[in-house]
Amino acid sequence: MKKLVLIRRFSQTLFLLLFIYILWLTTNTAVFFKIDPLVSIFSFSALTMLVLTFIAGRFFCGWICPLGAIIDICGIKAKSRDFGFRQVKYYILGFIVIFAFLGIQIAWIFDPLVITARFISLNFIPFFTIVLDKLFIFLIKSFNFYTPLYDFYRLLKSSILGVKIYYFQHSFITLSFFIIICGLVSITKRFWCRILCPLGAIYALIAKFSILRRHVDKCMHCMKCNVDCRMSAIKEDSSYRKEECILCMDCIYGCPDRATKFTWPAKKNLQSKFFLISRPTGREICKAKDSISRGDFLFLMASSFLLLGFKSMADGAKKRLIRPPGVTSEREFLNKCIRCGNCMKICPTNGLQPVIFEPSLAGIWTPHLIPEIGYCEYNCNLCGNVCPTGAIPKLNLAQKKEQKLGLAYIDKNICIPWSQNKECIVCEEHCPVPTKAIKTYDEVFEGKKIKKPYVDASLCVGCGICQNKCPTRPLRAIKVQP
Amino acid sequence: MKKESMFERFLNKKISRKRFVKLCGISAGSLVLNSALFKFAFGQEESSTGRVTKRIKGMHDLVVAKGEDPYIMTVKAVETMGGMRKFVKKNSAVLIKPNIGWDRSPEQAANTNPYVVGALVDMCFKAGAKRVNIFDRTCNDTKRCYENSGIEKIAREKSANVFSPDDWNVIKAKFNYESPMEGWPVYRDALECDTFINVPILKHHSLTGLTISMKNLMGICSGDRGMMHFDIGTKLAHLTDFIKPDLTVIDAYRVLTRNGPSGGNLEDVLDMKTIMVSPDPVLCDSYAANLMDRDPLSISYIEQAVKLNLGNADIAKADILTIKT
Repeated sequence: MKKLVLIRRFSQTLFLLLFIYILWLTTNTAVFFKIDPLVSIFSFSALTMLVLTFIAGRFFCGWICPLGAIIDICGIKAKSRDFGFRQVKYYILGFIVIFAFLGIQIAWIFDPLVITARFISLNFIPFFTIVLDKLFIFLIKSFNFYTPLYDFYRLLKSSILGVKIYYFQHSFITLSFFIIICGLVSITKRFWCRILCPLGAIYALIAKFSILRRHVDKCMHCMKCNVDCRMSAIKEDSSYRKEECILCMDCIYGCPDRATKFTWPAKKNLQSKFFLISRPTGREICKAKDSISRGDFLFLMASSFLLLGFKSMADGAKKRLIRPPGVTSEREFLNKCIRCGNCMKICPTNGLQPVIFEPSLAGIWTPHLIPEIGYCEYNCNLCGNVCPTGAIPKLNLAQKKEQKLGLAYIDKNICIPWSQNKECIVCEEHCPVPTKAIKTYDEVFEGKKIKKPYVDASLCVGCGICQNKCPTRPLRAIKVQP
Repeated sequence: MKKESMFERFLNKKISRKRFVKLCGISAGSLVLNSALFKFAFGQEESSTGRVTKRIKGMHDLVVAKGEDPYIMTVKAVETMGGMRKFVKKNSAVLIKPNIGWDRSPEQAANTNPYVVGALVDMCFKAGAKRVNIFDRTCNDTKRCYENSGIEKIAREKSANVFSPDDWNVIKAKFNYESPMEGWPVYRDALECDTFINVPILKHHSLTGLTISMKNLMGICSGDRGMMHFDIGTKLAHLTDFIKPDLTVIDAYRVLTRNGPSGGNLEDVLDMKTIMVSPDPVLCDSYAANLMDRDPLSISYIEQAVKLNLGNADIAKADILTIKT
């Protein structure tokens, strides 16, 4: 019985399902991002994770990480090959840290939890719901199951499935990004975790000194563990790279002699570990192919200043998009947003959509409001509540109602009352401001009073419901400009 | 031999005329089959000429209840009308159509008072109804409207079915006369019920002047509702003729007098503490319009409904009973 491996698989599945479940409800998503030291280094739970890593090693990667679990599933048939380049992840981490000091946040590009959250919120859940929904519609309509299957369908919709089927623009880019990451397993097992993952790099730096260690008794050098190890952490002489081991426990059960064990060091060893340890010199580290030396580090520091060009790109971003309520400074927003997609997932009208290149390259996957898909619900502050980093500020309802997202403009050439003298004023009817930001002006046409709408700029909050409900097609007669 | 990948195999195969024709045939055939299957699954369209009703008359033409508690007022008013048993038969399906259009609390008076809806659900079940459906097509997000109006909670407690309507589950409207509503999709649940109880709230509306029972029927229409606003009077009158509500209960407990239909300002809300019950939607609307100091015939849909002879708009001729609770 591969007891430990089974427990690990159970733990991976559990955490993956938990991750999906939390994202599905989107009520307490901050939990997952709080244990992520790359996103929130100073939170208590992230520090706890670091301490636990110091005790046990990179258990997060093998036992908890949802992306790791998905990569493992994708890589069941893949082979494990060792071809170096492990230091790349430290460079990536270095870039992230240096940029953080420069005041630019780029952790979102490579953080595994963020990548998984984005994939699940923007691709997996919409796909799952639409397939389930169409299946139910097909069954109900073609076989006339109006009761009781229809009642069950309605119950599902009002509870977990959600009334609305979400749709996200450009979601194929998120999907292809994710597929590339998972597809890298065709090169080697856990390619992402070995070579690219900056979160893995943080854990690796600590796991180097971890207490729990792999111990082999009387090795017969069959090299089975060396070939099979999914991180290729085991060297040919049956010692191993501690920082690369994710404690998957495969080598324990793969060993024909059952000679491999994971043990805590004896008390004596523990002392020697802390006090009598002979630290490797810089040159020795240089020779070890996979770690990063002082010289490398200095090179990294120097070269990253060449990349300051990115900074000007982020500076060049002007406020040209309708951002979520409460966002005032575009620059600050871009820096705080980790692009996890929570706000877009929770937005009840589906109006928050991912940006691709509209402001600049720096704004990719940030949320913006597209009123023609969905407006900003006046009585709702969910996006601020679920934002894990506070990029969208937490506002209470009274504060949120005062936030101005933009301003509505009426195009009198398209507007039905203005251009055709017919009754309409759907925009005025839907305007959520208690005193109505859209006023009407009476004009008599052929003996009939026609109400013509105009916008009171001092009252308009730019929620976009007027643009959403405006009946003119293809262009709306009223538009919200940021 | 080297193993060819699928892509390479595809490239290396030569295309003959026969193969080309075969490929075209297969793809065309599968397209036709696919569209047929899709139509079979999702594309069925039904149409109907409207609900068939018996036009049940009450003990009076209109009962007006005034009092403090909306629940008791509703119960007393319907009892004075002849009791719910008159309108709801045993083992029948009832649809209660309140106004849940906006994400507002009951105090802001944009949605029907939840206690009025609760009283009606109770009475329907007491009269022996098998199931009571409640829905509305909302203007704001459905879930938030249902929650914040308080109607979902009260109705669920009393075991009524509260659900959001599905846009795929519609029936197209057909008329015997020429109508701008011809072919408009109407939710199936609104048509396939034995008793239709319309429970609007009386409030201000910028385009039509007042939102009353006939305007409330807009909530059973699918499709692009924005397009309904042109020539709204005729459309609503024809819709009323199509649905023929059995009972209309107007909630004027709290009335929004300005900035309707969504409101939001408590200063605009007037406590009128009145509930009107009538089997005649036009009479009910006319009385409510009078209550708000408006000439009923100045409201476009009442005017059109009178032209279609859907009911009586002349309050002086009607048998109206006012009760106090």
